[in-house]
Amino acid sequence: MLLDKTILELATGLRSGEFTSVDLVNECYDNIAKYNDKVNAFITIIPRETALKQAQEIDCKLKIACLPARQENCKLLAGIPFVLKDCFCTEGIKTTSASKVLENFIPPYSATIYKKLLDAGAILIGKMNMDAWGHGGSSENTDFGSVKNPWDTTRVAGGSGGGPAVAVATRMCVFAVGEDTGGSIRNPAGWTNTTGLKVTYGRVSRYGAIAYASSFDTVGPVAKTVEDCAIILETIAGVDKFDATSSPNPVPQYSKLLNKNLSEITIGIPKEFYGDGLDLEIKEKVLQVAADLKKSGAKIKEISMPLFDLCLPVYYLIAPSETSSNLARYDGIRYGNNRDNFTDETIRRILIGTYALSAGYYDAYYKKAQQVRTLFIEEYQKALSQCDILLQPIMPNNPPKFGQLLSDPLQNLLADIYTVSQNPVGVPSLAIPCGFTKSGLPIGAQIIGKMFSEELLLSIGHEYQKLTDFHTKKPNLQI
Amino acid sequence: MVITPIIGLEVHIELKTKSKMFCGCDATHFHVKPNTHTCPVCLGLPGALPVPNKTACEWCIKLGLALGCTINEETFFERKNYFYPDLAKGYQITQLQKPFAVNGKITIDGHVIRVNRAHMEEDTGKSIHLNGETLLDFNRSGVPLVEIVSEPDITLPEEAKKYLLKIQQIVRYLGISDADIEKGSMRCEPTINLEIDGQFTPLVEIKNIASLTGVMTAIQYEIDRQTEQYSQDKITKNSTNKTTRGWDADKNQTFLQRDKEGSADYRYFPEPDIPPIIFTKDQIDKIKNTIPEMPDAKITKYKSLNLSDYDANLLSENQIFSSIFDKVLSKSSDPKFAKFIANLLIGPLKTIEIDINKINPIFFKNLFDKKSELSSTAIKQLILDSYNSSVDPLVLAKKQNLFQVSDTGTIEEIAKKVLADNPKAVADYQKNPLSIGFLVGKVMQESKGSANPILAKEILEKLLK
Repeated sequence: MLLDKTILELATGLRSGEFTSVDLVNECYDNIAKYNDKVNAFITIIPRETALKQAQEIDCKLKIACLPARQENCKLLAGIPFVLKDCFCTEGIKTTSASKVLENFIPPYSATIYKKLLDAGAILIGKMNMDAWGHGGSSENTDFGSVKNPWDTTRVAGGSGGGPAVAVATRMCVFAVGEDTGGSIRNPAGWTNTTGLKVTYGRVSRYGAIAYASSFDTVGPVAKTVEDCAIILETIAGVDKFDATSSPNPVPQYSKLLNKNLSEITIGIPKEFYGDGLDLEIKEKVLQVAADLKKSGAKIKEISMPLFDLCLPVYYLIAPSETSSNLARYDGIRYGNNRDNFTDETIRRILIGTYALSAGYYDAYYKKAQQVRTLFIEEYQKALSQCDILLQPIMPNNPPKFGQLLSDPLQNLLADIYTVSQNPVGVPSLAIPCGFTKSGLPIGAQIIGKMFSEELLLSIGHEYQKLTDFHTKKPNLQI
Repeated sequence: MVITPIIGLEVHIELKTKSKMFCGCDATHFHVKPNTHTCPVCLGLPGALPVPNKTACEWCIKLGLALGCTINEETFFERKNYFYPDLAKGYQITQLQKPFAVNGKITIDGHVIRVNRAHMEEDTGKSIHLNGETLLDFNRSGVPLVEIVSEPDITLPEEAKKYLLKIQQIVRYLGISDADIEKGSMRCEPTINLEIDGQFTPLVEIKNIASLTGVMTAIQYEIDRQTEQYSQDKITKNSTNKTTRGWDADKNQTFLQRDKEGSADYRYFPEPDIPPIIFTKDQIDKIKNTIPEMPDAKITKYKSLNLSDYDANLLSENQIFSSIFDKVLSKSSDPKFAKFIANLLIGPLKTIEIDINKINPIFFKNLFDKKSELSSTAIKQLILDSYNSSVDPLVLAKKQNLFQVSDTGTIEEIAKKVLADNPKAVADYQKNPLSIGFLVGKVMQESKGSANPILAKEILEKLLK
């Protein structure tokens, strides 16, 4: 299957004439026809003819580009089919954030990352299912039906970006761009055996990404390999005059900087992340990542992050506060559907946030949470001064059966414990597949680095994927 | 009964930057086709983000400096959350905890009105109520506003008006706003209560005042209303009984709009989409250097040139005017010259719209030096003509024969002719010598205004003896 190949392999094949972008696009749509009904990953599927027309144009360009003198003019992503989480505005294409409130919203403008991908010649084939507004970690809080885990369709795919991860896992596209506010890229990546990167806050423009919690929201790639993520990141990253929080830091050619000598690298194991509540099988596989990297020369050091369990209250006060304000514009006047269309989970978060910001409670909740956030920033700085990267699990458990998290909102929040501490700090985190449970469910690990250390994280992840083949495994969906 | 009104003013100044506060849209909105100056940002579309307008921030600092404020080097924006149909995002981006400028003052006739703050925020859209429907126009959404909040130091309606005029003058001097109350680019919301024999009446904020007179009448109305109200109910101010009243300019009265203002909760929190704004001391100094000489300083300077209070005030009233005056004055600082220019500026030149670049100070000086040879009518006409044609007024005067004839021979010739032609007037003079003015006028007429009128009068008197 062409779609098992990496972006670099595909780009090479497209240029050598081995296959065409039309072939790639056709394979995507064939797989969508075969699998999407089973997993419900798409909210909007772009008409096949539209995508094929773009593919034909790119194929023509690529033929000309085959002349060595012009090769540089064609980006690696030219002719590569991709999907977007449905929180990114796409001009003329319905964008719902998986909420009935935006059921019929067709944006008159495009998100910066979408424009950049189009400029690079990538071909959009769909907008993906998710927890509405990013509110959730299981892609069940959606008005478009739950996303199912392709490794076991009785289980959730993770969230909020369940749709994008599942589309990559089931080869319905080559790659996806997601959005991570408290694990929304990493959590589904871990549960679907895909690779996802939560970038440093400010690394990628948020313009056109429908906000969940503005100071935590980050935009990043989901793909089959770390190398693919590097190629996508170097395409979408960079300062944007439409996003005042985007960073002017130069964007390295990540994909060309993947091979590093790991002998100088120290991997920190924060012991608090491996305590009670962590599934033992997951613990074992995650720690094995350190053992494997040790073979490439990395050093391992146990460290302590004692504030660890305060991350949940910090996250679940600040994120709802911001979301209560961000969602105020959906007041029923402009977007067709009224706010009685919000789901219970979304209403819960709006209420918590409104409460935390209210006069008389502000100091005790919102302000206190921001103060603890500052402590967390120091906690991560301290941890990352003792080592180069931190190795942490992504999820404490295997993907639960449907309804399990939804019926227990508190459990739903607790499941996020390993993924919500990085967003308030802003540090990047790379989620990589690191094995399977005995029952055959995928397990993921995350490596976290200093602000703007994507280059290092990607090179370590790449090294790990050279040593292992977990990331090449795909679910076997019975037709 | 001793009644002291306690008045504080919130003044909104709409900045005339090219683009809006947080997006690149054209910031003009007066008489513009509805919803044509909009984009995803000022429409508050999902996913859109605000990027602050640097010029607007600099102008806010500039205004703060002109009001004698301390400038916060590090500030940030905040969200003020509330619902209104024309508030696109469901919140307004404004400043609460750290405004750009704090602790300034404005002096009115020697009385200091403290300025609490001048902060930066965005305007809302406009609701237009038409035939039972409400239409929304977002052209104004996101237009930069500076809000200037005074301490409650104002005690008279007249003083409130003077305070507003002063602010208007300052922002116009700075060139950052038209500050036109009628067009809404300057808005004022007074908050008033009274101290009556040591007791304080509940606070009332008045909204929807659309003219300067309105500010005065509304405040006076509210003073009278509160006096009356208090005499009946004796209710005093507490933390929950602030109310908002609207001003009805047709009925000349205020009416209750919102009750229990104290319980409104805007859930302010720092705007996460905009990083803190930092202006260094150097940058602030640079802004300071762009501030022109302010009206108060000009008035002092003009008075030192022996100009009357009236002239000094009039000349400093608007900046173009005073710049012209200063420019011309650069030729000589003789107080007589100052008075001469002042008269021309306040007189003939006030009737036209002047472009300072077309003003040639030399022309004024030349006219001044020859003023004894020209009639005041001629001087007025010459300054206008020379402004329009850019030709030296003395050249024009020669061409038009406007130099007054002081040659007694020539005047005598004319006078003799006039006496011969007007026997009735001559007879009148014999009865009433004061009627000579008629004959002098005839001489002036005959000489086409070129005769020196004083000389003409002397000669006529001599001939009529």
